[in-house]
Order: sequence, then C-alpha cells, then structure tokens
Amino acid sequence: MSQSSELLVERQAQLPATVALHARPAGMLVRAAAAFNADVFVCANGRRANAKSILDVLALGAEGGTELVIAASGDDAVEAAEQLALLIPSLV
Amino acid sequence: MTAMAGDNGCVGLVLVSHSAEIAKGVADLAGQVAGPAVAIVTAGGAQDGSLGTDGGRVLELLRAAAAGTGAVVLVDLGSSVLSVRAALTELSAAESERIRVADAPLVEGAVAAAVAASTGCSLEEAARAAEEARNVAKL
Repeated sequence: MSQSSELLVERQAQLPATVALHARPAGMLVRAAAAFNADVFVCANGRRANAKSILDVLALGAEGGTELVIAASGDDAVEAAEQLALLIPSLV
Repeated sequence: MTAMAGDNGCVGLVLVSHSAEIAKGVADLAGQVAGPAVAIVTAGGAQDGSLGTDGGRVLELLRAAAAGTGAVVLVDLGSSVLSVRAALTELSAAESERIRVADAPLVEGAVAAAVAASTGCSLEEAARAAEEARNVAKL
C-alpha cells in the first residue's frame, strides 16, 4: 500500500455519452489499470473505486457522459493516470 | 479429451450450477467483461436437463482444465459443492494443483476471477479475486 507522503497524480476524463462503465468497458479499464504498479483509483459521482477491481468499478454505476477522475500513486503513477485518461474517452 | 486452455496462458473458469441457464448466463456475462482470452466452461443442471448437478461433466471439465492452463472453479450451492469435491478426489496431485475452487458467490466471483485472469494473473490470484467478491459493497 502506498505511503501517505507519496504524490497523488490525478487526471480527468469523460466517458463517451453512449458508453456507461458497465461490463465490457469496465473490463477494459480494469485490464489497463492492472498493467501498472501504482495504486489506481477511479472516481465518479463522489464515489471512489479501486481501478484494479472489477466489482469496485462496476459498483460505481457510472453512466455514459460521466466525468471520471483517475487518481494514482506509486512508481508509475503518472503513466497510469495519463494512459487511463486517454483510454476512457475511447471506450466502446 | 481436449485440454482447456486460454489465450496467452490465461487461467480459465469452470462454473458449476444447479441450472444450465444460470451457468450459461454467468459465463456469458463473465466472458463479456473479461474478453475472449479467458476460457470459461460450464457444468449446469443434471444430465437430463433438470435442476441438479452432473458429476461426470464436472470431472470432465476439471480434467480438461488441469490438462490446460488451469482453472478457478465457481459453484452455486449444495450439491454443486459436493460434485466438485467428489471430482477433486479423482484428480492426481499434479492435476489438483491446477484447480482452485473459490469460496465465493457465483456471479460476482466469476466476473472478478475472469477479469483477473484476463490480466494474466496466477491461478491463486484469480481465485482470491473471486473470494474478495464477498467483501465488496454492492450498493
């Protein structure tokens, strides 16, 4: 688990209007997050989910067009946050 | 017997349920979330299609999984657990090492294990992902 003194990197990204964070898109996000060592969270509507946990991400119930915030901390946090922020608007 | 093997060495899933419809539905859902690299097979319902379990089919699937990339087994309740336990006693020690029964709810466990498997994780990691499903708040 990361230390509280580690830098938290945040990036915002919006889900496409027609793509909710359910099933397949959620799976793609989780697979992408799993590639990084950093602790990664995805936040929607004031709720935070572990981006590496499919059930956590699905519980967000984020509908199409929702603004998401990716928060990451650890070694490759910047890369993680930026890659996921790039992925989100391209989810189908 | 054909070995059950996922793409890129991904571990697979064996879903055991009293109902063929439940097993297939869960397999479809887990498959959609996890993508095509994870092999997911089902043993749902009795041989005659009624509610129940088919021990022979369970054993066949576990053998195929053990011959391939291994699998996490998800079960619903009652005799599904018994069928899996009975099948496990028929496996060799080497085969048993490639099978991990997850103590997890069927739907949530299957989805969690399938996605974990799709990231290329180990058998144990996929099983633990299934078991963590018991702790994740749904609402």
